[in-house]
Amino acid sequence: MIPTQWFLILSAILFTIGVCGVLTRRNGITIFMSIELMVNAVNLTFLAYARQFHQLHGLIFVFFVMAIAAAEAAVGLAIFISLFHHRETIDVDEANLMRW
Amino acid sequence: MAGIDKVDVALSLLKIVIVVGALLNVTPIMVWVERRGSALIQDRPGPNRVGPFGLFQAIADAVKFFLKEDIVPLGAHKWLYTIAPMFGLVPALTTIAVVPWGRPFVLRGGRVFEPIVADLNVGILLIFALASMSVYGIVTAGWSSNNKYSLFGGIRSSAQMISYELALTLSAISALMVAGSLRLTDVVWKQTGYFVLFNTIKLPSWNVLSPAMWLSFVVFSVAAFAETNRLPFDFAEADAELVAGYHTEYSSMKFALFFMSEYMAMATMAALVVTLFFGGWDIPWYNEPATFGGFLLSAIAFVIKVSILLFIFVWVRWTIPRLKYDILMKVGWKVFLPLAVVNIVLVAWFIAERWI
Amino acid sequence: MIEYAVFFFFASIAVIFAFVVILHRNPVVSALSLVASFFALAVMYVLLEAPFLAALQVIVYAGAIMVLFLFVIMLLNLQRQREEPTRPIQQFLGYLGSAAFGIGLVYYIAKYAAMALPVGPFVADARTVGVALFESYIFPFEMVSILLLAAIVGALLLSARGVQWP
Repeated sequence: MIPTQWFLILSAILFTIGVCGVLTRRNGITIFMSIELMVNAVNLTFLAYARQFHQLHGLIFVFFVMAIAAAEAAVGLAIFISLFHHRETIDVDEANLMRW
Repeated sequence: MAGIDKVDVALSLLKIVIVVGALLNVTPIMVWVERRGSALIQDRPGPNRVGPFGLFQAIADAVKFFLKEDIVPLGAHKWLYTIAPMFGLVPALTTIAVVPWGRPFVLRGGRVFEPIVADLNVGILLIFALASMSVYGIVTAGWSSNNKYSLFGGIRSSAQMISYELALTLSAISALMVAGSLRLTDVVWKQTGYFVLFNTIKLPSWNVLSPAMWLSFVVFSVAAFAETNRLPFDFAEADAELVAGYHTEYSSMKFALFFMSEYMAMATMAALVVTLFFGGWDIPWYNEPATFGGFLLSAIAFVIKVSILLFIFVWVRWTIPRLKYDILMKVGWKVFLPLAVVNIVLVAWFIAERWI
Repeated sequence: MIEYAVFFFFASIAVIFAFVVILHRNPVVSALSLVASFFALAVMYVLLEAPFLAALQVIVYAGAIMVLFLFVIMLLNLQRQREEPTRPIQQFLGYLGSAAFGIGLVYYIAKYAAMALPVGPFVADARTVGVALFESYIFPFEMVSILLLAAIVGALLLSARGVQWP
């Protein structure tokens, strides 16, 4: 049986990679994919603790996180499509109408 | 961890060899059945020069595939172009792992031989998970070919596949509700009983013979056609419209891999229909004993049922015309999905009333 | 023994493909690498004795959400656009900040989060999850279905061209 700590470390590494992707990319879809990576790292943490303490609540929470991440992906991509229709680009640095 | 049981490993390897060998051999047999069957339906002879009744035509085709030049089109994304056929092949080969193909029997020494490669607790979910991975093969092939016909074929076909996946999953749930478990072995064991009508007629309790499951059987079969991209849903290939759809730019072995994965997916879907609705390896009106003879008879019964279903796949392909794409999507979302949901409620009611 | 080998193999696949996601300039390759990463994570879930959630991860995440991503990328024809390189100062600060964050996180987890192995079996198959969903968590379950309906309607409205807002 694999110690829970290793799963937590793997989750931390994946989360960090996601953070790095969000901070350093300009393509909106890639930023969105890095966010999904972060959400999955958190899912892994939930499941690691659920197994550690033998509680089903972790699993149920992961179930709901998956459903909500699906909804978020759909709406987020619709927003990107709408942005693309107006600006012809997905570059997040070009979406600067609210910059002072 | 305790020591690895060598006999278990050897038996598992034997099962894998049998199953993968059978699945790899489906393609040449199906090629022959397809070409002679379509010729029969269209009142023409079909291939009959190569060997008796054209039986060696598939070998000739295989040799041709090996010897053809492997072209990578200019402007194609080389890496994705090469791995796209593997995306289609891996689900086709692995989903058969959770389908039981014979009756478990007792070996010498008290060990039970279960003829299923991986008896998972969440058996059927593996099939749905890997079936949704096969969408990527089509999308990647369509995109990486740098060809607008391939892209159209790929996107249309993958949109169709993900739409009908919902109807497939929901209609399979009714068969799972009857069995009360996600394991396919439990689904088959539940169908080895009998329905007794009017205290005289004994029908095998296959799911297809109980009225609540007729609707789910129809929806599941239609969704299985849509999932494997067979006519009347074959927008991926669409011979007359899109040149050859997503595999236009593929030649020789890569095309052969797509070709093989389509027939293997067809065989797996047929095996799934047989397991969920036609009683799997159960021989009607006969209680197979738990011996090697019983196992052999049940495996032969399974193969016969799958073969009949595969012939029906070929029959439908050459009989029904292709649906128009927007009608296909409309029907998938507005007809089959509500029907599948209604069917769940119907079967739940039947189970609550203890009629099943 | 085999568990450790499987864990290390699939953990390295997950991490390597996560790096490809954030570093490759072609969004289609990023999306497919993310699919591979999700698949490796599903194997991790199986190691954590939650096979039902592993299957759900592949069906929902790798099989539906990433297909949606790929459709949007191909619909908007994004692979043809050259993504301009990020400004150097943003890149430097981004890499530095995330590396510091990551190293700190991993260090403190390794130092403080050691736990004893759990004893006894953990039954997390479909039946127990289903019972928990329909008994204790029935309210969030129904609310999530309404949320998904709102997401569908929102996505349709946001991405439609030429919608006349009253």
